[in-house]
Amino acid sequence: MALHTTFLRRFVLALARSVGSQITDAETGRVLGRAFLFPWRGKIAVIGLEAEVKPVFLTQKRLTFWKQDLGFTVQQPPDFPHEASPQRPPDPPAK
Amino acid sequence: MKPVLNVLLTHQRSNAVAAMVDWWARCVPRESIVVAYGGSREDFEALTFAPKLFIDDPRLRTRDHPRERQSYGAVFREVASWMRNRDYRHVHFAEYDHLPLVGDLNERQGSLMEADGADVIGFHVRRVDETNCAHYLAHAAEPGFFPFWKKITCRRDPGVVLSMIATGSCWTREAFDAVAAISEPHPMYVEIFPPTLAHHLGFRVRDYGPQTRFVRHLGDRIAEVAEARENGAWTIHPVKSGWAGSAPL
Repeated sequence: MALHTTFLRRFVLALARSVGSQITDAETGRVLGRAFLFPWRGKIAVIGLEAEVKPVFLTQKRLTFWKQDLGFTVQQPPDFPHEASPQRPPDPPAK
Repeated sequence: MKPVLNVLLTHQRSNAVAAMVDWWARCVPRESIVVAYGGSREDFEALTFAPKLFIDDPRLRTRDHPRERQSYGAVFREVASWMRNRDYRHVHFAEYDHLPLVGDLNERQGSLMEADGADVIGFHVRRVDETNCAHYLAHAAEPGFFPFWKKITCRRDPGVVLSMIATGSCWTREAFDAVAAISEPHPMYVEIFPPTLAHHLGFRVRDYGPQTRFVRHLGDRIAEVAEARENGAWTIHPVKSGWAGSAPL
C-alpha cells in the first residue's frame, strides 16, 4: 500500500512539474516552476511547486469589483542590520 | 584572542574521526578543532582525539530529522560551556560530511563576515515567513511559535522567520553564546531555530552568496570534489563516504 502511495505521489508530482500551470514571479516575471492549482473548499491546493513562494493579490490598472488575481512572488533575501545591544544580556531560557 | 574555534559534529567511529580531523587539519589549525560527538558513549570513549565533547541529547539523534525536529541546542550549549574560559573570537560549525577544500578557510570566512558586517554567515540563508516552505508552515501551526518570537525579539517585525543549513555556519562569539543561552520553548528544527533566534536577538544573519551552491541537503558528492575545487569551492557538502572504513579521501 505504501509503495503504491509513493509511486502515485511521484507520478502526480512529475506530471505537475511537466504539464502544470507555469508559475511566474508576480513582481519580476521570472519563471518559478510549474504546479497544479486546485481550488478546494475555499482554499487553493498547490501541488508540485518546488520554488519557495508567497501568495500576493496582483495590482490592477482598471478598478474592477468582480475579479481579483492571486499570484506568487518570492521573499527577499534577508539583509537586516545588526541591532544587538552589547549591554543587553540575552533573555533567560524560556520555561 | 584565538581567531576561530572549529566544531566538527560526528557520530562515526574512531578511525573515521581520525581521518576527518587529519583532513580538516590541512585547512584549519589542528589546535582550533573540537569534536562534538553524537554517537554512542562507548564509541566516544574510544576516540583518541581531544578535545572532544559528548552530546547527550536524544533531540540530536533523530532519524527523520525535519519531522522529529532535530535540534543542535545541546551541541551549542556544550560548546559554549567548554569555551567559557577560552578566548575564541568566532565559532565555525561543520557536520562530519562537510568537506573543507581550501587551506585558509577560516581567513576567508572572517573576511566575508567583516566585509558584510555579518554576525552569522550560513548556507541557504533565506527568509521563509509567509511562504510555502514546509518547515515554516509546520512551525507556524504551533500555538507558541509566534508568541515566543514576539516575547524575545528586539526587532520591529517579530514575524520574520529565517532558515539556514546548520553545517558550515560561522558565528561571532557574541552571537553564538547568545543563541546557546536560550532554549527552544518547544521543539523547533535546527534549520529554523538558530538563525531565527540570532536574527531576533539583533544579530545580522547573512548567506555565503556564491559559495552556497556547493552545499546542499542530500546525496553524496564525493565524485564532485575535484570539479567543485576547480570552480572555486571553499567547502563541499555532503560527502558522506569520505571517511568510510579506514580509507580517507
